[in-house]
Amino acid sequence: MRRELHAEWTKLRTLRGTGPLLLALVTLTVAVSALAAGAVSCPPTGCDHDPVRLSLFGVQVGQAIVAVLAVPTISGEYGTGMIRTTLAAMPRRTTVLAAKAAILAGLTLVAGTIAVLASVLAGRLVLPGNGFTPAHGHLLPSLADGPTLRAAAGSVLYLALIALLSLGIATAVRDSAAAIGVVLGLLYLLPLMGLVVSDPDWQRLLWRISPMSAGLAIQATKNLATLPLTPWAGLGVLAAWAAAALLGGGLSLRLRDA
Amino acid sequence: MEATIEVTGLRKRFGQIMALDGMSFTVMPGQVTGFVGPNGAGKSTTMRVILGLDAADEGRALVSGRPYQSLRNPLSQVGALLDANALQPSRTARDHLLWLAHSQGLSAKRVDEVIEQAGLGSAARRKAGGYSLGMRQRLGIAAALLGDPPVLMLDEPFNGLDPEGIVWIRRFLRSLAAEGRAVLVSSHLMGELQDAAGHLVVVGRGRVVADTSVADLIATASSDQVTLRTTARSEAMTVLAHAGATVAATDRDTLTVSGLAAERIVALLSEKAVPFSEVAAHRATLEEAYLDLTRDAVEFRAAAGPRATGQEAAR
Amino acid sequence: MTTATGTPYRSALPPGRDRFAHLLRSEWTKFRTVRGWVITTTIAALVVALLGLLFASGSRSTCGIGPIEVACPTPPVGPDGEAVDDTFYFVHRSLTGDGDITVRLTSMTGIITYPPPDHDEIVPGLVPWAKAGVIVKDGTREGSAYAALMATARHGVRMQHNFTHDTAGRPGVVSPASPRWLRLTRSGDTLTGYESADGTRWTKVGTARLAGLPATVQVGLFVASPGDLTVKQGSLGGSIEQVRFTQATAVFDHLSLRGATSPGEWSRQGVGRTGDTDWERYHRPAGLEESGGTFTVTGSGDMAPSVDGHQIERLLTGALAGLIVVIVVAVMFVTAEYRRGLIRTTLLAGPRRGRMPVAKAVVIAAVVFVAGLAAATVTVVFGRRILVANGNHVLPMSWLTEVRVIAGTAALFAFTAVFALALGALFRRGVAAVITAMVTIVVPFILATASVLPDGAAQWLLRLTPAAGFAIQQTMPQYAHVLRHYVPAAGYYPLAPWAGLAVLGGYAALALGLAVFRVRRRDA
Repeated sequence: MRRELHAEWTKLRTLRGTGPLLLALVTLTVAVSALAAGAVSCPPTGCDHDPVRLSLFGVQVGQAIVAVLAVPTISGEYGTGMIRTTLAAMPRRTTVLAAKAAILAGLTLVAGTIAVLASVLAGRLVLPGNGFTPAHGHLLPSLADGPTLRAAAGSVLYLALIALLSLGIATAVRDSAAAIGVVLGLLYLLPLMGLVVSDPDWQRLLWRISPMSAGLAIQATKNLATLPLTPWAGLGVLAAWAAAALLGGGLSLRLRDA
Repeated sequence: MEATIEVTGLRKRFGQIMALDGMSFTVMPGQVTGFVGPNGAGKSTTMRVILGLDAADEGRALVSGRPYQSLRNPLSQVGALLDANALQPSRTARDHLLWLAHSQGLSAKRVDEVIEQAGLGSAARRKAGGYSLGMRQRLGIAAALLGDPPVLMLDEPFNGLDPEGIVWIRRFLRSLAAEGRAVLVSSHLMGELQDAAGHLVVVGRGRVVADTSVADLIATASSDQVTLRTTARSEAMTVLAHAGATVAATDRDTLTVSGLAAERIVALLSEKAVPFSEVAAHRATLEEAYLDLTRDAVEFRAAAGPRATGQEAAR
Repeated sequence: MTTATGTPYRSALPPGRDRFAHLLRSEWTKFRTVRGWVITTTIAALVVALLGLLFASGSRSTCGIGPIEVACPTPPVGPDGEAVDDTFYFVHRSLTGDGDITVRLTSMTGIITYPPPDHDEIVPGLVPWAKAGVIVKDGTREGSAYAALMATARHGVRMQHNFTHDTAGRPGVVSPASPRWLRLTRSGDTLTGYESADGTRWTKVGTARLAGLPATVQVGLFVASPGDLTVKQGSLGGSIEQVRFTQATAVFDHLSLRGATSPGEWSRQGVGRTGDTDWERYHRPAGLEESGGTFTVTGSGDMAPSVDGHQIERLLTGALAGLIVVIVVAVMFVTAEYRRGLIRTTLLAGPRRGRMPVAKAVVIAAVVFVAGLAAATVTVVFGRRILVANGNHVLPMSWLTEVRVIAGTAALFAFTAVFALALGALFRRGVAAVITAMVTIVVPFILATASVLPDGAAQWLLRLTPAAGFAIQQTMPQYAHVLRHYVPAAGYYPLAPWAGLAVLGGYAALALGLAVFRVRRRDA
């Protein structure tokens, strides 16, 4: 496994897009978080907005960048035919996929931590100006606070799980354009369908199985009782999706001709 | 206007590397012109510039007297095979040819004609992704023939072919040239062009090293060396040196003689009663002639023109 | 040097002509011969239709009187064919031929039930569009033609007619210290409204032509008060709208009529309302109190276009899912060539490079337009039937609007495909192109309709990004004189339908232009 890890790390490191993508992940997440925090204001009469969730809003866009980072690590190899070189050099296919997953998850965790910390900080600076003050009963995002810490750490995990989900799907689908379409469709469409159906039971079901809706429950610090799942259970839904995708991808890698 | 390819003073730089450095040559109709040189000599780049895929920094490349990009229905002017793998794997060979035909306003009937011509036959209705390299080369040639063009350009068509395939392409190219077409075939192995090309453009480091007919090239490279097997080595050396030849002993009973034709050597030795068992005029293979030319491409790069003319003058 | 042997080759093929049509045909052959692309495009259409029909079959409306289920009543329809809300308290008598009605309005007061923040009490107050004034109406049937001149709580004097038309008069709030004189004149089918501060100097507010107004109409006083709207954040995203009962009371005097009016007592009627709220039952019913020339009229409701029912474009929400598929197909249509070097063959066959992206764009646009058209037609036609069969009320609309929504959805597909294809030719990389198209079309739409973004930000997203194109699906116009939660999530876009589509088209054209430029410039 060490050799595979080293090889995959060298591959990802020497890929031209990796650096800029990680930078984009951090800047875009922070920028969108700050914009969302700046755009929402809370009147003195009170509001239902969750300040922590607002501060971490950028994760919803940042996840797209994570998908862009993750998908080409495997589908790019299929596109160029390099996968054959890879598998010739490292015939233990499952190990190769595991190595890819580990490297990707590691990179995403590092970049995600930076992005999430900066987003929380931006929220702390911006939100009080928009009426989210302790005087009005809003706790400012602070990592010393249990739920905030859970939301922040969970958001980092969320991004890493998105990377694994994307890798799994890309391994199964192989074509990069199709893979990215499937990933983003899965992420963004299910929540939207939840708003289209009128039946509340269906809405809650769709919410529960949607990797994005359920996964982002980890960011909630208010009105937890109204959510169909607890935050960690929600993140568990995403983890299940990621595991299923990696399993499917791993099987496809093992069973299908390269 | 005669249908030819004319390349004049092409220069192109990729970063630090001078890919083309004053490439100039003309391809004549009615014969197969081999376009040879080591890997990285600029063959593919030249072909891509001719086909308007790459833009040269300097110089120009004309097809039938016009830049490729200005051609109307280009496939009926030039047929080209650049990369046999440039296919959508999920499309059948016939469909691949069909879209090409449609782009030129040609009918499906023409597609079936070239499928027969290239010997694809019933395989044409299979997905191109499953083709062997040899089949892909045939498909590429079929595509090049689609517009029935007077000029054909094939980049490394022998790559990956089995001997049978190589023989097929050679024969096919010759027959196409015999119809009066100009055929330019690139290769990095001279041997592949043997028996196919009548004319050669040898390139190295982005420019033409030699532009000559195959017969002339071989004659030059053979440089009238004669191998003489004799038991009377020293007598023979004396006699031949006296007659003005350069003689070198290559073995205990073998001499290499240059500067005298084989018939003259036989006559001289018989006259002086020097015994010999074998006189063999050395005829270089195309491969040897090519290696001879490209061995020191650096030197040729500096003085390719004068040397080539010098050789011709010496003949 | 050997010279050429024999004569140069002359092809026996007839000389073809260089035409863009050939290129188009060639690209079409390319598209249809890759089975995966054809299947995927079909899937895009199926996704739209299936999601739409699923949505339709999942929507059920039942109405009940007590425990008994009955068919839901069909909301009234206005003179222009749109669904309307036509509820108000009407004090009237008939007028035959020309005439006019003049009155002085001295006071407007009212109540709002359980407003925010605590929703625990009934407070005095008026909603901004509470209205009282004089009206001429073609009978008392809900949805019949009318013209009315009124004072409103916050929007000054207005002249309104036939539910959708509104003209502003003098601003200001009515009070005993600052009363309003209102006069409505009928002359043939033309009605003219005047207002005055003192009953002597009159200013014209506006005129309305009510085509086909019969000779005998009902003329009189009216009071209406629309529900109080509040919007709150939904816990699963989106927003929850709540409308609460309100009531307005207006005091009129100096009432005078001119013309052939019916004699006797004023008729009184609560048009379109049953008056069954607890407030009306136990505290103050709608009605008229008349004493010594002073008319105190109390009423609730509104005269406005209604959105109570299913908007047909909701059936087409699946278009978003279809768009994702369309983006992927369009991008692959061009990047597949770059990946395998096939692009060189394409450029050899058509060396006028700028034409390549254009020809591809035309083909993909045509293909997905047809797919989108088929999907949208099936979805709307059958979806509507299913909705109606399930007891739902589908908001009526003109066939022109319906055609615009269906063809517009197809155009949305086509423009998106061109945009995505151009991005593919620009970047030459599938992932980069798909993600850019998604982040600029799909993601803004989702953020604008299904997230916690504030309404202002959501509207700007749908003005500036290619997602503006979704506006083509909007069927319900916004009315300045009807207070509603006009946000993208409710189907209201910040740009007019064609303007929104033009924004998307502009982006597509720009991207295609850049792609042509790039393909021309770069070595293949």
